[in-house]
Amino acid sequence: MKTTNPQHRLLALLSIPAFLFLVIPTAIVVPVALNDSRYITFPPEGISFAAVAGFFADRAWTSALTASLQSAAIAVVIGVLLGATAAIGLHGRKFPGQPAVVGLILAPMIVPTVVLALAFYQFFISIGMVGSIVPIGLAHAVIATPYVYLTTRASLAGLNPALVRSAQSLGAGPLSVLRHVYLPIILPGLISGALFAFSVSIDETVMSLFMQSPGATTLPVKMFTDIQFNLTPKIAVSSALLVSVATIGLLLQVLFVLKRRSSTRMLPLAVSAQT
Amino acid sequence: MSNATLERTRPRGRGAPPSADAPRRRRSGWWLLLAPILAFDVVLFLTPLGKLVGASFADNAYQRVLEDPLVVRALVNTLTISLASTVVTVVLGYIIAMVLWRAGTVTRVILFAVVLLPFWTGILVKNFAWAVLLQDNGMVNAFLQGIGLTGAPIPLLHNRFAVIVGMVHCLLPYAVFPIFSSLASIDDRLGLAARSLGAREGAVFRRITLPLSMPGISAAGLLVFIISTGFFITPVVMGGPGDMMIANQIDYYARQLTDFSGAAALAVILTVMVSILVAVYQRVLKAGGQHEDN
Repeated sequence: MKTTNPQHRLLALLSIPAFLFLVIPTAIVVPVALNDSRYITFPPEGISFAAVAGFFADRAWTSALTASLQSAAIAVVIGVLLGATAAIGLHGRKFPGQPAVVGLILAPMIVPTVVLALAFYQFFISIGMVGSIVPIGLAHAVIATPYVYLTTRASLAGLNPALVRSAQSLGAGPLSVLRHVYLPIILPGLISGALFAFSVSIDETVMSLFMQSPGATTLPVKMFTDIQFNLTPKIAVSSALLVSVATIGLLLQVLFVLKRRSSTRMLPLAVSAQT
Repeated sequence: MSNATLERTRPRGRGAPPSADAPRRRRSGWWLLLAPILAFDVVLFLTPLGKLVGASFADNAYQRVLEDPLVVRALVNTLTISLASTVVTVVLGYIIAMVLWRAGTVTRVILFAVVLLPFWTGILVKNFAWAVLLQDNGMVNAFLQGIGLTGAPIPLLHNRFAVIVGMVHCLLPYAVFPIFSSLASIDDRLGLAARSLGAREGAVFRRITLPLSMPGISAAGLLVFIISTGFFITPVVMGGPGDMMIANQIDYYARQLTDFSGAAALAVILTVMVSILVAVYQRVLKAGGQHEDN
């Protein structure tokens, strides 16, 4: 619909500030990190990797990076295992109580993160599980699992349950069905879900903040703590790292979306992960 | 988000067939696949939440927190900041969704990526970027001084304006998608028919596009408002002491006052508020016949 009447020009004109508003903050992050200055400024005064070197020489920041990657690994592994098995188990089945099961699986997405953070904080203290990255990883797994469930379910939508039944009637055992019928079909959904789980965990701040301890301080928590005092180049480097990860995640996601249109529906999902 | 709407998007399977040739293991084993997630959610989701609800009934906590003027202030802040952010987000989201709707295929893919990149970026990164832009010697102040709007830097950071800017930036994608999908479901021929009958573009928008995209607008508004009410990071990073929201108050009770029952009571209040809104949201989705944003 290409027309050049005044209303469309008005829309185009209005949309420029809207798109700039959306893009500029993300776009400045990497240049700010590579700024050749002791202060945080934009536009940068020159290109330098001094801040990046400073970041990787600082134990506090590198251990935060390690903690983030550890919690993300826990969240991805648990999320993929639980989300995928749940999606397969529920595929093509109707039983009394099924809506309640689906509701329970999705519920972690709608509970505000701060509420979950408080609940986990209390819970892990009460069972004496504090001071490591494990409870943070487990908490991330709780909110990451529904995403994997949804992306896997989306990729299963095209699978006719009759296919499973015919494989079984031809003598395929449960593992063989899983391997040869389900796995090829859910693989894109699984990868997409794993990316979601990784991104949910790597960006999650509130739960990690409540459960932080020396040695279990994630990158966003370190950023959150430092940002309240000063905008430092190391925060900028950390932001640039996370933006790069997000860009790679988005590119991979787009690749899979282009391959399988079904996962487009999943994109505007991260309700609980964002605040 | 909504079970009901999610359910409608998937084909109705017939369930495990109770046919005569079905071997026993085919029917009995599948629930084993659900056992891990159910066990996990019961232990690590329902139990902590249950304990939280339990803790909230101790020490007269509800009465205590609701009599705290700081809490009342935080509740009022939450409502006003969320409402303001929602209005701005829906207006900007509508403009962006209109552009996406009008764009050709290639432009649309590029613009979708533009909308999605901030969506995939963590909230702290976005708020940090805004802090850099809005600080006294930041780009926005430089621009305002450059065009002569102001002589000296004006304080743009650590106030309510900054909180709303930061929140809107995080919330925009959530508004764009529902609005875009309701725009995309409008029959193009309606506009063509109206134009062929002499309607101007303004009239087409007012009398066709806008009313038919109303379900998308209300879904977007509700979703954005729901997410807004839980914001925690942005008020701390971008706001001043007077801009704290309910989530910050929960944190304050839990980690500063170490008053668990008070924090738990606040958390329950927030969850109940959000749950009611989610229920309304599902109604709206159902009424609008939308499946897209789950």
